[in-house]
Amino acid sequence: MITAAWVRRAAAPLACAATLAACGADDKSGSSGDVMFDNGVTNEPCPEAKNPGNGCIYLGTISDLSEGPFAVVGVEYTAAQKDFWDRVNEDGGIGGFDVDVVKYTRDAKYNPEEHVAKLREIEPHVLALAQSFGTPTTLAGLDIMKRANLVGNGATAWSGWAFEDDGLVLESGQSYCVESLNGLDHIAEEFGEPKRVLAVHFAGDFGGDAAAGAELWGARNDVEVTTLETAPNAVAGSQDAVLAAIRRRQPEVVLVATGPAELGEIVGKAVAAGFEGQFVGSSATYGPSLLKTPAGPALKARYRYVGPHAPYARADTGAHRAMQRARADKLPQSAAYAGGWIASYPLRRLLEQAAKKGDLTRANVRATVQDVTVDYEGALPPRRFGRGGATIERQAVIATLDDEAPLSTRIIKDVFVGSTAKDVTIDRACTADR
Amino acid sequence: MVELLEAIARGLGQGSLYALLGLGFVVVYKTSGVLNFVQPALMVLGAYFASALAVDAGLPFALSFAIAILATALLAGAIERVALRSLVGTSEATAAIVTLGVFVVLNVVAADLIGAGQRTVGDPWGLESFSIGAVTIFENDAARVVLAALAVGGLALFFARSRTGLAMRASAFSHEAALAQGVPVGRMIGLAWMLAGALGALAGVMAATGGGGFDQTLALLALKALPVIVLGGIDSIRGAIVGGLLIGVAEACCKTYQPEHASWLGANFDQVLPYIVMLAVLLVRPYGLFGTPQVQRV
Amino acid sequence: MRRWWLALLLGTLLVLPLWLDRELNTLMATLFVVAIAAIGLDILTGWCGQVSLGHAFFLGIGAYTAAALGGDPAGRVVGLGLDMLVWLPAAGVVAAAVGVVVAPLATRLGGLYLAIVTLGLVLVGEHLFREVTSITGGAGIGRPAPDLVLAGVDLDRTSSLRGIVSLDREMKLYLLCLALLVALAVIARNLTSSAVGRAFAAVRDRGAAAELVGIDLTRHKIVAFAVSSFYAGVAGALLATITGFIEPRTYGLLYSVEFLAVVFIGGAGSLTGVLLGAMFVTLMPRLVQELPSVLPFVTSGSSADGFPSTFQLQTMIYGALIVAFLILEPRGLLGLCRRARGHLPDWPLRH
Repeated sequence: MITAAWVRRAAAPLACAATLAACGADDKSGSSGDVMFDNGVTNEPCPEAKNPGNGCIYLGTISDLSEGPFAVVGVEYTAAQKDFWDRVNEDGGIGGFDVDVVKYTRDAKYNPEEHVAKLREIEPHVLALAQSFGTPTTLAGLDIMKRANLVGNGATAWSGWAFEDDGLVLESGQSYCVESLNGLDHIAEEFGEPKRVLAVHFAGDFGGDAAAGAELWGARNDVEVTTLETAPNAVAGSQDAVLAAIRRRQPEVVLVATGPAELGEIVGKAVAAGFEGQFVGSSATYGPSLLKTPAGPALKARYRYVGPHAPYARADTGAHRAMQRARADKLPQSAAYAGGWIASYPLRRLLEQAAKKGDLTRANVRATVQDVTVDYEGALPPRRFGRGGATIERQAVIATLDDEAPLSTRIIKDVFVGSTAKDVTIDRACTADR
Repeated sequence: MVELLEAIARGLGQGSLYALLGLGFVVVYKTSGVLNFVQPALMVLGAYFASALAVDAGLPFALSFAIAILATALLAGAIERVALRSLVGTSEATAAIVTLGVFVVLNVVAADLIGAGQRTVGDPWGLESFSIGAVTIFENDAARVVLAALAVGGLALFFARSRTGLAMRASAFSHEAALAQGVPVGRMIGLAWMLAGALGALAGVMAATGGGGFDQTLALLALKALPVIVLGGIDSIRGAIVGGLLIGVAEACCKTYQPEHASWLGANFDQVLPYIVMLAVLLVRPYGLFGTPQVQRV
Repeated sequence: MRRWWLALLLGTLLVLPLWLDRELNTLMATLFVVAIAAIGLDILTGWCGQVSLGHAFFLGIGAYTAAALGGDPAGRVVGLGLDMLVWLPAAGVVAAAVGVVVAPLATRLGGLYLAIVTLGLVLVGEHLFREVTSITGGAGIGRPAPDLVLAGVDLDRTSSLRGIVSLDREMKLYLLCLALLVALAVIARNLTSSAVGRAFAAVRDRGAAAELVGIDLTRHKIVAFAVSSFYAGVAGALLATITGFIEPRTYGLLYSVEFLAVVFIGGAGSLTGVLLGAMFVTLMPRLVQELPSVLPFVTSGSSADGFPSTFQLQTMIYGALIVAFLILEPRGLLGLCRRARGHLPDWPLRH
């Protein structure tokens, strides 16, 4: 009897030729020296290998790279990861393998449908994901990652990851929710505790998370915090709703979780109309080129930047020094570069540890997550991944805006853990109903 | 009262912008029956050209503005000549899908040109404002109204007085009749596209004034014009203006009052409002405020 | 003759999943479902002449109906854990019901007015989907799709057919979507070649004349809306299931436009045309993805320094192909095929 498996094997080359797609059998086990491996690892060197004697580990990247809404972030983040892994390869690679992050890079335009389609395509060929960009996209791909034992770096700072991911999505740095806590803690420390706070925000994983953080902060500190959901200028036309709310609710502090264009309009127009309070916003809200817009002076005077790590130049961490070397001191355009670089440390550590155990199979890489401590070369505090409760990152950097500083951000506190952020309980996604 | 008047002032500014965006769609639709999806890209490229000339090359704002309008008009004309001329007389829906394909290409180009981050067009208005009594008005809102009025006035004169304008109106009325009178309909449609390009650039520059400049995502803003043109009557220039101002003011009032007084309608209700205003008008007048009723012949 | 070709095609499609890998099986399943949605739109647009930009809204209604009925009861959003036999028809029926409710609004309007009013539907839908977070999970976060349990059988697990053929989730989805496409295509064909279909065409070509000879315009437009929305609802539920996840922002203008593109790229008012269009829109981006590796001037990878990067080029080529094909043949791919056949008089084996 002819079994289907036999038929498939016999006809596979034909199907490959017919579809132009890169076909491959699902399970490719093998070993090199004393390292076992299956999918996404080969004994053949990488394309354009730094160490032609090494085998190759393929990591997948699914990002927003052409016309999606966050292409600006995606492109820089992805470029940083390329530089990061180039450096790993220059240092000899991992356990006798170079790492390739180019061959399986795909553009999903921040669209969950496309993300899942691309993930299905590259999944059989990669050991792990160097990048899974975005919250809804990564959530959509989670099922496939679970089935395939595929660990990945999630380029998303939603607070829900600590509770949703089955240990598959590696996260680095504070969530947007904690970012708000730290930002408001800082403002309270610096300017006195405000009586009224207004959080203006986009919907969902970024803005919604940040606004939930602000509400959490208000509940803890007995401060009246109100929120107002707004939308990007390209669909809302203007930020009039926010300006009206500022006028009417008379907050002393406005937390802004929007994009840069909206931030500029809000701060510029509110200050022009006589608003005298402070603004604070997260790393995703601010863009360095804002200082060249008419809103520049108001931003410099009234805005505080909160981020998970220094946006780029800070010579005293190994990570930032390495980034600057990799770019030969050519400034990136935003904090996304540092984000991509710093978020790559966990996966590197994970692969090193799995390789040391002589087992680069996906199952073992996944198992290794349960017991790995990552050193970020000083950019973030060392982090232990694994079971034993969700890890909530609580550290921030605070900066003021300054044309002279690299990326227009002058760090004023490089290791900041606010009094609320320090010990507030976060036991589910901040965006979940409370 | 002051709050209301200020909301109306901002609404008129924003509405002028919508009116210009709408006019860009209307001139092409009127002459060729095509819903032009390239219009958003023309708007973005217009803003980019002005920004590149005024900020990167340091030319005076007025000069860069003028060159940007001209360049975008030429680009629009070229697109029509290359991609759409051969489709005149075939299905309008097909032509609309072709404009969509052109948009996909141009959108990537525009995003790459704009690059990461915010750009400005070097306009003189910035965040300056002036007061009439207790009412504060931002200069850029006033500028939007004035520039839109000038553009619309010019357009009206052109259609009413010039021979070319007359010829364009003839082509809009009927391709066959115009051809029979010796009007080169293809060239008239090309001209309509150039006008749309100019209007797009004008709208793009105006959209880029104000606080935070513009970035890669600007293109979507042009879709704000769709309820505007339907509300006004899709083939009516007057309609686009009245519709734009009406929706601009309605939206500004909604933004000012709805979050406080009608929060049960949900967040960002102002995005839905234009369509509700539009529907309300269409229920009474199926061809918009000023649209030409289509007489069906048996 | 034609019947034999069709049988051969179907036979090939039935065994094809054994040769394809999981990704391509899923891609084919997507193709089938896109075709289902587009057939629905074609009934309204191609046959009845009503250009609708609201199709995405009905896909969304279908997807959320299915997810609420068939979703995991233990999840963070509403899910009743019902069988696919319930949620799939329900997705179509609810969407059709919504279609019937909004159709009277639309029957007074025509042409671009209708298109933009239906676009308003999409905007209202997006607003609703964002707001009803207990069902949708909210913008930027989303929710899982319904579970794949058909008549008590969990299609999610790989199963073996008498030990001969092993069927994984992807193959089953492929076969299920193919079967549904065939069934719904046959129904659509029967409908359009019946009196109702001729009435649709009359409404499209000469509305006033149709009315004079006693065709009830409003009723037929409502029927067209209902049928079209039913197809959209079913397709929405299936597409969500294929992806495994639903996010409110999916159901926007671009989604609607994509289905219009399927209809017009393929050839409006023709089943074959719509199938060709669905092939173009689903398979072409995948093929284009392979292209840059052959072109020398493209910046490799995702490098931020050169234009165009691989990904920018992929997007642009796709746009340019749409333009090129339609300039070449404004009647769509179907027209192109007919022309090609005209040049090759003996193909395929004319009888």
